[in-house]
Amino acid sequence: MLEIRCPYCGKRSQNEFSYGGDGNIKRPTLGEEINTKDWDDFVYFRDNPRGKHTELWHHTSGCRQWFKASRDTATHEIFATCKMNEDFNE
Amino acid sequence: MIEKVSALHFDHHKGLFGDHEGKNNLLKIKEIKDLNIFQVAKFKKSSVDISQIKIDDVSLPLSNPLVSHNSDIRILWTGPDTWTFISENPLKEKITSSFNDIDFGITDLSHSRAAIQIQGDNAIDVLKKGSPVNFNEDQFSVNSSANTTYNGINILIDFISLEPKTLNIYSLRSFGGSFYHSITDSALEYGYEGI
Repeated sequence: MLEIRCPYCGKRSQNEFSYGGDGNIKRPTLGEEINTKDWDDFVYFRDNPRGKHTELWHHTSGCRQWFKASRDTATHEIFATCKMNEDFNE
Repeated sequence: MIEKVSALHFDHHKGLFGDHEGKNNLLKIKEIKDLNIFQVAKFKKSSVDISQIKIDDVSLPLSNPLVSHNSDIRILWTGPDTWTFISENPLKEKITSSFNDIDFGITDLSHSRAAIQIQGDNAIDVLKKGSPVNFNEDQFSVNSSANTTYNGINILIDFISLEPKTLNIYSLRSFGGSFYHSITDSALEYGYEGI
């Protein structure tokens, strides 16, 4: 069981959260021409690193906010969490 | 003819249950009916200064897990720029006069929640059985609230008073029956009185 620090509510159990995917993905800029490969990469392809990884999490059963978490995919240690408009302060 | 039926009308039973024999100060569990519950959410583009807004001289709580209150109304922080207003008396006029619909989204949740009040020395122990919230006194005390889960059911806890320990718990109405039985099953160990 992970204990995750929501930037709004504080430490809560993993039960209250939903994993939201890779936090490094940047959506192609709206209104700009984009080739098929870049669009394909954005929609389908993800890195699967072993180690430190930036992820999105959602406090589904709490404040219902999205936030970023820096987590080790091998040990599950969570190094830091922050609001979506912030950077990690590790 | 349409009959008004409370959320736990078919679930809540009065009487003594569980390990109650020879015990004083039993846990008391009751359904709270006819509450007025409103959610108010400030829109992202709004520039209204929340700290200037008051309802019946009660300011809005600005962070987790605070609750602002007076004898009539309780205002629970339920997320950033989101509050839940709870009162036994009509709220609609007060809320619509204080929050304009350009800056705030207002939702009447009065009929969409099942509400249980649990009172007694073991009230927190019952909640600890199903909820992952840290109920230690330095983290969660009187006039605190928490959006959390109880055996997988989303709930909102409002810590009303310490003497006697009283907590109001709200779940979605459609989950009310499951939630009520989850709570009462956990309370059997201590014995409880349905009132």
